[in-house]
Amino acid sequence: MSDPKTTSSGPGRVLVAIYAIFALAAGARAAVQISTRFHEAPLAYSLSALAAAVYVLATVALARGGRTSRRVALASCSLELAGVLVIGTLSLLDPAAFPDETVWSTYGKGYLFIPLVLPVAGLLWLRRTRPRP
Amino acid sequence: MTGPLATGVIVASLVIAAFCLVTTVMKKSMNMFHLVALAALEIALLVLAGIGIAQAAGGNGPAELATFIGYLVGVLLIPPAAAFWGLIERSRWGPAVIMVACLAVPVMIARLQQIWQGTGV
Repeated sequence: MSDPKTTSSGPGRVLVAIYAIFALAAGARAAVQISTRFHEAPLAYSLSALAAAVYVLATVALARGGRTSRRVALASCSLELAGVLVIGTLSLLDPAAFPDETVWSTYGKGYLFIPLVLPVAGLLWLRRTRPRP
Repeated sequence: MTGPLATGVIVASLVIAAFCLVTTVMKKSMNMFHLVALAALEIALLVLAGIGIAQAAGGNGPAELATFIGYLVGVLLIPPAAAFWGLIERSRWGPAVIMVACLAVPVMIARLQQIWQGTGV
């Protein structure tokens, strides 16, 4: 396999596709939750919206792939990893605080744990495609 | 929404995903078969969406109507987006993109069916 030059070509294209689906799914879900029943679980739904925004950011940054975009992608993948680990742990310790599912509840169990794997894959991919002097 | 057409779409989508897996493993880039399969899938999804909206408009829709419409519109966007994103990649990873899309479609239809039957939100 030839050396990938940008974050959006080769296997990176698949990564961007998965990110885009998550951005779409999380975004649509957050929009519906917030517009129809925000008062029921403000914390969980705000987190859903935050997760969706981070997925959108990561999708666009990985698809663009310039120098600034790589930084944005690094930041959003790191934030995602932190989010899924922190919220995953909190949702196990204090289920009452999370009456409704978020993408990150129980480390993304409702989404086949893809939310846990995706940021790791993103970070590894950014390392693989880093520009060499 | 829970009839044979939905089941057919799920099965067809999984078959296309399997076909894409084969072409990815064989290091083939996207060809006419991938495009025709995606187009057929999109047409089937449009018919399914039409039936779903007609039933919902007739008063037999799910309680979670907003979520239902959201998923319905979302699932329609996937095949065209996958075709576009896969076509510009002239390598084995083009079909791999289609595979991801064709795995996402059954998941979304399963969610639509859950919403339709009022189980799970």
